[in-house]
Amino acid sequence: MSAPKVISETKREVKHNPPPPVTHTRKHYWLAESSEELYRSIVLSSGVFPVYISKKAEQRIRNHALNHGDDGIEVMGFLLGEVFEHMGTKYTVVRDVATTTLEASEVSVKFDKGNMGELFDQLDGSGFDYMIVGWYHSHPGHSCFMSPTDIRTQKSMFSEGYHCAIVVDPLKSEIEAYTLDGDGYKPIPFTVYWEEYEDSYGKLYKKKRRKG
Amino acid sequence: MTTRIKVKNAETGASVDMDLEQDNTVEEIIESAASYWEKPAGAYVIRKGKQVLRGQATIMDAGILSEDVLELIPDPEGGQ
Repeated sequence: MSAPKVISETKREVKHNPPPPVTHTRKHYWLAESSEELYRSIVLSSGVFPVYISKKAEQRIRNHALNHGDDGIEVMGFLLGEVFEHMGTKYTVVRDVATTTLEASEVSVKFDKGNMGELFDQLDGSGFDYMIVGWYHSHPGHSCFMSPTDIRTQKSMFSEGYHCAIVVDPLKSEIEAYTLDGDGYKPIPFTVYWEEYEDSYGKLYKKKRRKG
Repeated sequence: MTTRIKVKNAETGASVDMDLEQDNTVEEIIESAASYWEKPAGAYVIRKGKQVLRGQATIMDAGILSEDVLELIPDPEGGQ
């Protein structure tokens, strides 16, 4: 008996494309204060953000976390998107998210293996040639950071430079994006974008910090 | 008889063509693909259409046919 043999590999081409225009981007209203300086540094330099999150994906992440926030239960899902290059800089566009039922508690979360079909339905129904460019999960009431378990996941599965992790705290109304940095991690700036045909990312979701 | 399939890496969009023997298992397919991409095999599941393929199943048991496209999907865990 011989092991399966890899014959050849086809890599996905990184397309050259300008990022969403600044007129169609906006700071996430839940952006953690610690990341606001990072955000401003990109805006002031007219630079390319490492990550652009669509209004649709942002809403789905936030609503998923909010729906289970009062129970204190973590949520999780994949970030679906593409990687582009502009003026020699690679950046990630998160167009949508996908998830399924979860095995979750106040301190841990993973997919329910018995219901992966729902996840696959969402992947197949995304409507574009997706890549899983990272993952999101929530820390209800515990602020945004990457735990040792989170870092292990990031190293195992999302170790490319364009991969990111989004952590959201629906109780403190905070969100941050992270990438690996040596043995640890670091926050990275991101922005929310909307398409020409969409209403702008509105003021409806202003940060309302809860006490405690 | 050799069965040639394609395995897609959902995280990178890359894919490999892979030759299988009839007695190869799904677990071996995951291990070969993960090893090629220098990933830990235990961190992934593999799907054919809407189905997660079970590790111990042979390619015949799993219904894997020539020119099938399987997708390697990460299985993340978050915690505090």
